[in-house]
Amino acid sequence: MPSILVRSLLVLSSLGLAQDALPPSADRPVDFREEIKPILDARCVSCHGPDEQKSGLRLDAKEPALLGGDLGPAIEPGDSASSYLIHKVAGFQGESIMPPEGDPLSPAEIGLLRAWIDQGASWPEEADDSTPERRSSDHWAFQPITRPEPPSVHHEEWPRSPIDRFILARLEAEGISPSPEADRASLLRRLSLDLIGLPPTPEEVDAFVQDDDPGAYDALVDRLLASPHFGERWGRHWLDLARYADSDGYEKDRPRPDAYRYRDWVIDAVNRDLPFDRFTIEQLAGDLLPDASLEQQAAAGFHRNTLTNTEGGVDQEEFRVAAVVDRVNTTGSVWLGLTVGCAQCHSHKYDPITQREYYQLFAFFNTADEADLPLAEPTADDEAKEESVPRIRTFAEQPPDRRRASHVLIRGDFLRPGDPVEPGTIAVLPPMEPSGDRADRLDLAEWLMRPDHPLTARVAVNRVWYHLFGRALVPSMEDFGTRGEPPSHPELLDWLAIEYQRLGWSRKELIRTIVRSAAYRQSSAVREDLEPIDPENVLLARQNRVRLEAEVIRDVALSASGLLTTEVGGPSVFPPQPEGISELTYARSARWEESQGADRYRRGMYTFFRRTSPYPMLTTFDAPDANVCAVKRSASNTPLQALTLLNDEVFVECSRALGLRALAEDPSLPADRAFRLALGRLPTPEESALLSGLRDDLLAAFRADPGAAAAFLGDEPIPGLVPPEEAAALVATARAILNLDEFITRD
Amino acid sequence: MHPILEAIERSRRDFLTSSASGVGLVALASLLRDQGAIARGDEAGRRSDPLAPRPPHFEPRAKACICIYLEGGPSQIDLFDPKPELNRLDGQPLPESFTKNVRFAFIQKESATVMGCPRVFSRRGECGMELSDFLPNLGACADDIALIRSMQTDQFNHHPGQLLMNTGSAMFGRPSLGSWLTYGLGSESENLPGYVVLNTGRGTSGGASNWSSGFLPSTYSGVLFRNQGDPVLHLGNPPGISARIQRETIDAVGALNARRFDAVRDEEIQSRIASYELAFRMQRSAPELIDLSGESRETLDLYGVGRDDPEGGGRGAGPGVYHQFATNCLLARRMVERGVRFVNIYHASWDHHSNIDAELKFNCGMADRPVAALITDLKRRGLLDSTLVLWCSEFGRTPLGENRAGYKTVTGRDHHPFAFSLFLAGGGVKGGQVIGKTDPIGWNVVEDPVHVHDYHATILKLFGFDHTRLTYRYQGRDFRLTDVAGNVVDRLIA
Repeated sequence: MPSILVRSLLVLSSLGLAQDALPPSADRPVDFREEIKPILDARCVSCHGPDEQKSGLRLDAKEPALLGGDLGPAIEPGDSASSYLIHKVAGFQGESIMPPEGDPLSPAEIGLLRAWIDQGASWPEEADDSTPERRSSDHWAFQPITRPEPPSVHHEEWPRSPIDRFILARLEAEGISPSPEADRASLLRRLSLDLIGLPPTPEEVDAFVQDDDPGAYDALVDRLLASPHFGERWGRHWLDLARYADSDGYEKDRPRPDAYRYRDWVIDAVNRDLPFDRFTIEQLAGDLLPDASLEQQAAAGFHRNTLTNTEGGVDQEEFRVAAVVDRVNTTGSVWLGLTVGCAQCHSHKYDPITQREYYQLFAFFNTADEADLPLAEPTADDEAKEESVPRIRTFAEQPPDRRRASHVLIRGDFLRPGDPVEPGTIAVLPPMEPSGDRADRLDLAEWLMRPDHPLTARVAVNRVWYHLFGRALVPSMEDFGTRGEPPSHPELLDWLAIEYQRLGWSRKELIRTIVRSAAYRQSSAVREDLEPIDPENVLLARQNRVRLEAEVIRDVALSASGLLTTEVGGPSVFPPQPEGISELTYARSARWEESQGADRYRRGMYTFFRRTSPYPMLTTFDAPDANVCAVKRSASNTPLQALTLLNDEVFVECSRALGLRALAEDPSLPADRAFRLALGRLPTPEESALLSGLRDDLLAAFRADPGAAAAFLGDEPIPGLVPPEEAAALVATARAILNLDEFITRD
Repeated sequence: MHPILEAIERSRRDFLTSSASGVGLVALASLLRDQGAIARGDEAGRRSDPLAPRPPHFEPRAKACICIYLEGGPSQIDLFDPKPELNRLDGQPLPESFTKNVRFAFIQKESATVMGCPRVFSRRGECGMELSDFLPNLGACADDIALIRSMQTDQFNHHPGQLLMNTGSAMFGRPSLGSWLTYGLGSESENLPGYVVLNTGRGTSGGASNWSSGFLPSTYSGVLFRNQGDPVLHLGNPPGISARIQRETIDAVGALNARRFDAVRDEEIQSRIASYELAFRMQRSAPELIDLSGESRETLDLYGVGRDDPEGGGRGAGPGVYHQFATNCLLARRMVERGVRFVNIYHASWDHHSNIDAELKFNCGMADRPVAALITDLKRRGLLDSTLVLWCSEFGRTPLGENRAGYKTVTGRDHHPFAFSLFLAGGGVKGGQVIGKTDPIGWNVVEDPVHVHDYHATILKLFGFDHTRLTYRYQGRDFRLTDVAGNVVDRLIA
């Protein structure tokens, strides 16, 4: 394959030749639709069309055809002799002839193509395959949302909320009955884990189980929604989308000591229930708000979480563009639920998103420069060492006179700008009404939150539902497009989407509405009668059991053992991690200076996240790597997880604290106490027997090897006059409890 | 009794009655598979046991892969692709047409000049492959090696280049080759991870993203073995916890989990029980794996285990890297013998912007002997036919000397993505041949270009996969290792 350079040299030197060697241009006006389009469709489009783009070239639609392919433009309007398309079909200058199969084009056909190009290569709108069908779509997710009437049901006594009517109507249609409500202890643990990510104490369980006030459940929901830990729990969900981390990524992976200010903004915004429309606007355009506060500037840090490549010898423009691309793709995933990134190199194959539209979205972010606002006036001392001044990571929009131009990038290559583009959105969605002459990020954010936007609300409620049921109504949470999965309960999805807006985009109110439903409160036990009909529990005739997320596994262990530091926010911390992890990064600057005191026991979400050497426990339990927006986590089940819970120093320390705590709190039945602290319920007699059997075996083993007990207990003081072997046996029993499947599962 | 409980009970009895060597432990996973309790070779089987062995699309040539990744871009000009013309042109600028549209990491085009190469190449093996004097031992394996001199990549910076080489895309979030293979084939090992990463010296610039499972379930991620302390993170029990206590603990956890399963019937609980068994087995097998006392002196010497580092070495040096690299090559063979599907051996850095002669000598001194020993050792054990050995990196180096601002003298080469070399051996590869040709200064490929996607397509074919059909549905699209490209290089296959 000749390089572009070589080819253009050939072209230059042979222009005169070309006129003579090529079949002559037809000397009459040609009609694109009647004469040209049929040739392209019949002979070119099977390899250069929607399904395949050999050499990156598409000849089925105006825009990509005129943009050209990997080897540059194929069509030079007005100059057929220089057009590569003509050279290829004519086999000019030794070019391999196109099409490669079947007869070559006849001289008359080539003459028509030449005439069309010479006459300006006009491609009327109505003949543009890419245009008409792309303006409207009958795909469900692009249709306006209307509030469906909750259906009537046979069993009127079951529904606690309109939500339940949608669920039950479907179940009744299938002849399935819903599951009974989970027992009180399970409900409390479920709600606590779902809303604040921490387990209830045994005392809370007792109080709730004994509370026969009919308003007890609602009061519990109120208490949890008001907890400062609610913002941590739901903020962490959001941080997955925001690809939040504490370092730059790529080779150098330098630390970002100020990144946590964005994380803290999220926690705070969720706690004060900043409505989702404001939440959106401040993160996409906080810096553009009139008199933007420091908090709003920090909110705009959402898109500062992209990676930064400071590797020596990189083309800075290349990685600036890569960051902008990530901002577009992330915005598409988070708010539109669309894989807009697929249109970066060519128009989307399945969804009505053209490549031009992609770069219209790109243009919104292309004129925002990264900016760091000092939080305090730097002192003379600070200026000497620049990094010591605390900063807010935000953006600054370029002034109109120095505004970077945006172009379609051919094949997504930043070195190959095509047509210029202005900020704009996707034609299949409602039109944008910019406030000024030129749409900016603020307009984009407001457009996303328009009441008639068919995607934003559906996508948002789908995620909330997922976090409360372990299964989304639209399972392909990242793709509401034509290749995604359809909703299991389309009317419920729309009802929730409208309800969210009716509730003023209040996240807390939406969650309250869902967790009050009978559907949410069902038992999660698997029902054998449903296995043949609904093995994946699509119809929600029960709740789902969900393995806890990585950070929450750490949190429940620290909480049950009484070690947890409950402080909210602040700089990220460095809990103990095995030796040699940070040293494995390329950047040897990656030191892990273990935090001391209370900071050793912070919640998992505060662990310093270094992209090239993430904290092993977190990745072992499927925390995302924070390099790209993560819409959904997987829940794997691996031996490395077992080894972590059994042997990681952190969890051993938790076992020790849990065992000794149980010994102090209930010297007569410490194993049962440890079980309750961890799981929120008492063991069954059979479980109790298994625990005491284990404890007896361990006691015998430690008695046989007294040095082992001392080694296992470390320096921890033992409460009362308990012999060390007995304490060690109990601690080892507590260790088993922390390894139970139930402990790391939300039932 | 539930089959899983039965199996655990047997494994427990066997453990308690066997010697400390662990002999007599039943193969729990295979037992469960025999009983059909866990896995079948289909999609449902993959859900219940993601690592159960599965057949590929057609009869495979290779069953295991050892990928030796020399991070940074070793100089093909000094190792694999002799260019005597460079010595003639030494110190002269290249015509502008060469560099006009080219971006360099560090070279300043205006003043850059060709840099000669002091290496001596000789014809090795019956095939007469020309190799550098820095690779004396690999030269002896020339007849087993298929050398590609016409590799091409799209990336000229390290981390993006590494992502492309390892995952088929310069973007984050895609699964690595090892992840695709363990996803496609499962693992033959019942007590070791299916995909293991071994590192020597400092880390690579790509870090964990190089062995990430991307959008595939994290079960298919590479598991990093460590050179110090436990070979696998948290493999050792806490102080005071004997193997017996560990066994009793896991039994009790299993029994309590089984009661929970009885109550809620969630199959994930069964998987959890099985993964604790596997963890225990790994605790027993991994120490045996890294215990080299059963290897003969001759074998240890063949690899160079126990060698001291020479002086110098620059950024590729580090305490004991010679010994460690040799040990990792030997461990790779031992893992393949134990059913591990994919072993990734990393060493950084081969990024010789300066002082190339001395640093490349140090690195080659480290790598040449153990890699040659690995090929030789696999061959004499009858394992080379089914084990694919790869030597690769993210790109090569320029024929131009590097004259970056601040360099007083020109003693190194810059990144070069247009033409570089790598080799394959074993696993159904036709050895003793050179694929592709570069121009007289090694700037461009002039014959048989092989893109990274083509290389990946060929590897998948060796493992029995049509690269266009090994796919995973994500974001509404069927993704594959080779994206939308890739042509199998048939000549590579025996």
